[in-house]
Amino acid sequence: MATPLRVSSRLTGEGSAVLSLAGEVDVSNTPEVREAGVKLLSDGATRLVVDLSQTEYMDSAGLGTLIGMLKRVKEAGGAMAIAGPQSQVRRLFEITGLDQIFAIYEDLGTATKEVGG
Amino acid sequence: MNAVVPSQVELRIPRSCEFVRVARKTAGALAHQLQFTLHEVYDIELAVGEACTNAVEHVGEQCPEILVRFSVDEQALVMEVIDRGPGFDPEHTPAVNVQDETIGGLGLLVIRSLMDELEVKCDSSAGGACVRMVKYRKRQ
Repeated sequence: MATPLRVSSRLTGEGSAVLSLAGEVDVSNTPEVREAGVKLLSDGATRLVVDLSQTEYMDSAGLGTLIGMLKRVKEAGGAMAIAGPQSQVRRLFEITGLDQIFAIYEDLGTATKEVGG
Repeated sequence: MNAVVPSQVELRIPRSCEFVRVARKTAGALAHQLQFTLHEVYDIELAVGEACTNAVEHVGEQCPEILVRFSVDEQALVMEVIDRGPGFDPEHTPAVNVQDETIGGLGLLVIRSLMDELEVKCDSSAGGACVRMVKYRKRQ
């Protein structure tokens, strides 16, 4: 009965990838998100954009997973950006102060460009 | 047809991440019935979800279920998430650190930001915790 979430990823170039989260990210399905991020890194993608444009809901467990992802990307010498969060999800970043830690861009194109994808 | 809004709703959910959604969707449905705005419905869902997640993560195996109680009156929607676990220190809210993937306390920070009132009661002798959240209804 995990919360409906569609996780998809694609390599967009040498060492770069987009991870898209569509639906609801909550404590019940964050392991799936974490696993997808780890796999991208193990596939050599160290410049990562997480596309939240289709993310309708996210809780602090989802934020924790993104923090873990950012940590691993930085350890690998890469960069990570958040793309297109809807207003409610963006507000969660602001409430928690994580908008100061993550690079957040309005759209996927800009985010991809900024991380060097 | 105007639906009758109940004055109290109680749920007992298993101590499992899978059931947090049940509680927050119930909160959302009730908030919708009470004619909160869409943003407020989202906030109420998120706050209840965070409180339930907190309970699921802090209670031990001796606490198989979590009680979620919603009470409605003319002024407010009151939401209580009650467990019989060992309790926790609501003042222990570590700062977010990118080096530390565990960001305990973030849930309470979110609830505090979204709700009009937040009270955390922990009974250190008998065990258990109650997170009580209040969202005021707009005056008509």
